Amino acid sequence: MMQSKRLNRRACLKGLGVSLGLPLLETMGWADTKGQPYKPPVRLGFMYMPHGVIMEQFWPASAESYLSAASHALQPLKPVLDQCLMMKGISGVPISPFNGAPHALELSTWLTATLPAADKRNQISIAISADQIAANHIGSFTILPSLELATMPQTWKENQEGLNEAYYSHCSFRSPTQAVPAEVNPRNVLNRLFQKQGAGGQSAQLKPLDRSLLDIVLGGARELRRSLPVSDQRKLDEYLDSVRSVERRIAAVEHRQKEAALEKAGQRASKRYDTDSAPIEIKIPEGDKRSEYMQIMCDLNILAFQTDTTRVSTYIGSTPNGASYPELGFNDQHHSQTHHQGDSEKIRKVAAIVQFNVAQFAYMVKKMHGLREADGTLLDNCIMMWGSGLEDGMHHERENLPFILAGKGGGAIQTGRFLPDTKGNQGDLLTTLLACAGIPNDRPVGIATKQLNEIRG
Amino acid sequence: MIEESGNLFLDFPDPRHCDRPKGVSRSRAFCFLFCLATGALGQAIDHEARKAEAEAYFRGSVTPVIKTYCTPCHQNRRPTRAGVNFDPALKAPGHAAFTEQWKRSAARVKAHDMPPKEAPQPSEAERQVIIDWMGKVKYLSPQDPGPFVIRRLTKTEYANTLHDLFGVPTSIADSLPDEVSGEGYLNSLSPLQLEQYLAIADKVVQRIAAPRGAPPTTIERRLFGTAPEGPARRRAAAREIARGLARKAYRRPPTEAEVDVLVAAYDLAGRSKQSYQQSLHLMLKAVLVSPQFLFITPAGEANPSSGLVRLDDYQLASRLSYLLWASMPDDQLLGLADRGALHEPEVLKAQTKRLLDHPRSRALFDGFGAQWLGVGALAKQVFDPAVFPQMKPALRAAMYDEARLFFESILREDKSVLRFVDGDYTYLNQSLAAVYGLDKVVRGPAMRRIQLRDPNRGGLLGMPGILAATSFPNRTSPVKRGVWVLEQLLGEHVPAAPPNVPALDQQDRAAISRLTTRQRTELHRTNPVCANCHQILDPIGFGLENFDAIGQWRTQESNGERIDAAGQLPGGQSFSSPKDLKGILAGRANDISRNLVERLLAYALGRRLEGYDEIVVDKMMEGIAADDHRMRSIVNAVVTSYPFTHRRIEDNRRQP
Repeated sequence: MMQSKRLNRRACLKGLGVSLGLPLLETMGWADTKGQPYKPPVRLGFMYMPHGVIMEQFWPASAESYLSAASHALQPLKPVLDQCLMMKGISGVPISPFNGAPHALELSTWLTATLPAADKRNQISIAISADQIAANHIGSFTILPSLELATMPQTWKENQEGLNEAYYSHCSFRSPTQAVPAEVNPRNVLNRLFQKQGAGGQSAQLKPLDRSLLDIVLGGARELRRSLPVSDQRKLDEYLDSVRSVERRIAAVEHRQKEAALEKAGQRASKRYDTDSAPIEIKIPEGDKRSEYMQIMCDLNILAFQTDTTRVSTYIGSTPNGASYPELGFNDQHHSQTHHQGDSEKIRKVAAIVQFNVAQFAYMVKKMHGLREADGTLLDNCIMMWGSGLEDGMHHERENLPFILAGKGGGAIQTGRFLPDTKGNQGDLLTTLLACAGIPNDRPVGIATKQLNEIRG
Repeated sequence: MIEESGNLFLDFPDPRHCDRPKGVSRSRAFCFLFCLATGALGQAIDHEARKAEAEAYFRGSVTPVIKTYCTPCHQNRRPTRAGVNFDPALKAPGHAAFTEQWKRSAARVKAHDMPPKEAPQPSEAERQVIIDWMGKVKYLSPQDPGPFVIRRLTKTEYANTLHDLFGVPTSIADSLPDEVSGEGYLNSLSPLQLEQYLAIADKVVQRIAAPRGAPPTTIERRLFGTAPEGPARRRAAAREIARGLARKAYRRPPTEAEVDVLVAAYDLAGRSKQSYQQSLHLMLKAVLVSPQFLFITPAGEANPSSGLVRLDDYQLASRLSYLLWASMPDDQLLGLADRGALHEPEVLKAQTKRLLDHPRSRALFDGFGAQWLGVGALAKQVFDPAVFPQMKPALRAAMYDEARLFFESILREDKSVLRFVDGDYTYLNQSLAAVYGLDKVVRGPAMRRIQLRDPNRGGLLGMPGILAATSFPNRTSPVKRGVWVLEQLLGEHVPAAPPNVPALDQQDRAAISRLTTRQRTELHRTNPVCANCHQILDPIGFGLENFDAIGQWRTQESNGERIDAAGQLPGGQSFSSPKDLKGILAGRANDISRNLVERLLAYALGRRLEGYDEIVVDKMMEGIAADDHRMRSIVNAVVTSYPFTHRRIEDNRRQP
């Protein structure tokens, strides 16, 4: 009944898998650079903290004093403030009609600048996120199109306003209906990035044979899809999409290996300069200290960028539910402190939590600034954004979202400035960052209406 | 105090909110046809009459109230106030999309939370119209079992299935992300997960494969038999092996095309110069990354003209087995599916009994019970080590086990669900007995059944795991406990705290710090915005104030003030101790039972209940009440229910 013509045709193809296309791979980015100095690619990284900040302890006092007098929150960034850019006045997406769901939306609107569909609130129905737009354009050059990291498992919790709980804990969306899960285990990240089968961790050691195997399985899955009702077909589409992604990833690995072999044989110019820093070392900590944990995740992010294993990353430093910071000397949950009602003790704790999170970002940025790449530093070729989806957790405002940008994006961004009167929204900012990374936008991100040209100085 | 309101959203897993996306198209004609086909004409007429009555009630009574008090703000214009808009619901009140809106609205109106106090207020009779509407709206729904969209196995189900198939330890799936079954985005699958499935498939193969040159392992012999001679015979043998493997792993007989796919994997290995044994391993790997293994899929193509269909017996076997055992159907279930007998109610009940009697039915607690009671997160919940140094992993595990063993005793011994409230025994080991002050009596780490003499203990309300799960890291939360009782036990809808909770008057902080938890919580009631809900919630929690944040009995608070556990419920019943409160709640057998039925049904279906499901539950409750609300009659009613055994499918032939 379901005898498959496709399968027979496939079976006839010599060395299954040749039907797999590698869009862009040969035509852009990876083109032979013989004769010209290699220009490193621009990488984009996003790091998140929920619940907002204590505004007066976050923003610099003035544009003039930005470099000389760091605010409380910015203390950890002091040595690299000249590598950072701050813009005050970026507003978030107005969350009406979901006024009762500030925490479900702070993260999920952060990189989408879009509200979920009100009539499908219990499903995922939002928009592709900026990082995934970037991954679609520059992800096909690397072994991983994008890297998603999180400190806390993205587990199930009841949600606000009947919104799907994934909105709580996800910032990356491959498509309007598909949230991208983040990896929380550093060992798994390491294995996944570098194809290692380390003790304790589990990650696919992707083999060329797997690519052919997946191609066969994909054929069978398409047959199955045909026999299913529409609602089932939609479910299966996620599966098909995932299989294709993994196939592409295996192909990218093979391509990298081939390229490395050519470089080694002297038939192709190297993409590394002799002066480039060696890849950083990764030491996975034993304990469960939050700072150590976050720093190893940052290290992995750095290494992934440094080795051009991926060019796009997100790191959800914590999610709105349940985080506490015993390292700071108190056990209170982050969220409960942000509703401080003016209580100075709670404000102190929130400020400490904010500074702690900025410090982890600073750890990453400083390290990147210390790594040589081409004629500058790794950070010079990156755009790193740290931020929160609320202005202040006490009243859930979203008028002046806290952001810190670091890195020059290959020369597109003029750092060392604080722009206190920026007029724009989250979508404008994301659209601008994508443009700075050289990603052609055919449409603005979410609510964006313009680009923020002042970013270029 | 304010933080409690702000925190409400954090802590109450609610299976009713665990839904899978649901399509909306449905046809009333199918309903009528179905009733005829099943000989339920009488019921159909009954249903039609009720439906007509509900429509009349809606037009005559409900619509005027909504139009007078609600639509002035909540109407079809942008931006809608709080995202609530009654215009579409007024046009199609019975549409499943509005089920939640009606429930939430009724809960707010009932709590006098809506309309806001500055707006014109409805009379009590008018409020009652909205509340009564909740009992009638279901009759507008056409008969509909809901969709049963192909579902990916959960992490637990996947691990157990691998164990059953290949004898590998379930830890083989540890790298998959944690998830709770019954939840909405479970269905999704990412490239990362697929890579993990590939890696786990490799591990499975590594585990069962004999080293190169060594004779095959026992499991290889069981799966693959002995190798015949010659390529043609081997390929034929591989085909039969593929068929057998797929039948087990896909939990239904494979189609020829599905066997072809696996043989293609075998051939691929051959072309890569792999041995016969290695080729079979690659075939096995193909099985393990196929959608037919990772998802529960139907056995045959659905008839394109049928909208409401019975699940085929294989799907039913999987549904039943994954519900009660969190694993694949065993040979007996698959054998009954082969004979097409499983859907017969008596067969289904007998199999349910068999599965429940087996120790593997512990999966029902781990998957459902723990989520219902809210004890699933105890292991990771934060407790202040300075206040509760004893909350070590072993004690937390004992608290979880106490809830589990108690749940299982009611299930195994088929007791009435009322025992959840007024049971007079529990399960303790030494460290947990210390919380009860019984550590002189109970020694050692093993959990055992203990008859309780203290009437304040026994049942869920006196259980440390539940009392701890509804507390803050360093103190109790009467609000959380009140919400727990109302929602988890009685199945009531508690409106969420309003956004931007206004500040209580900033009174002298020193004075506040001297108040008891109760006195501080009572401040809610000085604020009219808070008072409406909190006068219902808080007293229930006050009744449990004798239990501290990890469930130890106390008569004084940490500040030395005496505990006042007295309170009054909205109905006027008053109490002065946990024992009294238990007695009052034990009088609400129907609510407790119905809540459990609804939660279990939602969990079993993997979606939110709506529309027609309410009618199904009404019908189920008749039989359950007649059987004294026994736990097994609840499980039986769920697994033989119409939505569990049927599905709605959308016609797909118009799709390319």
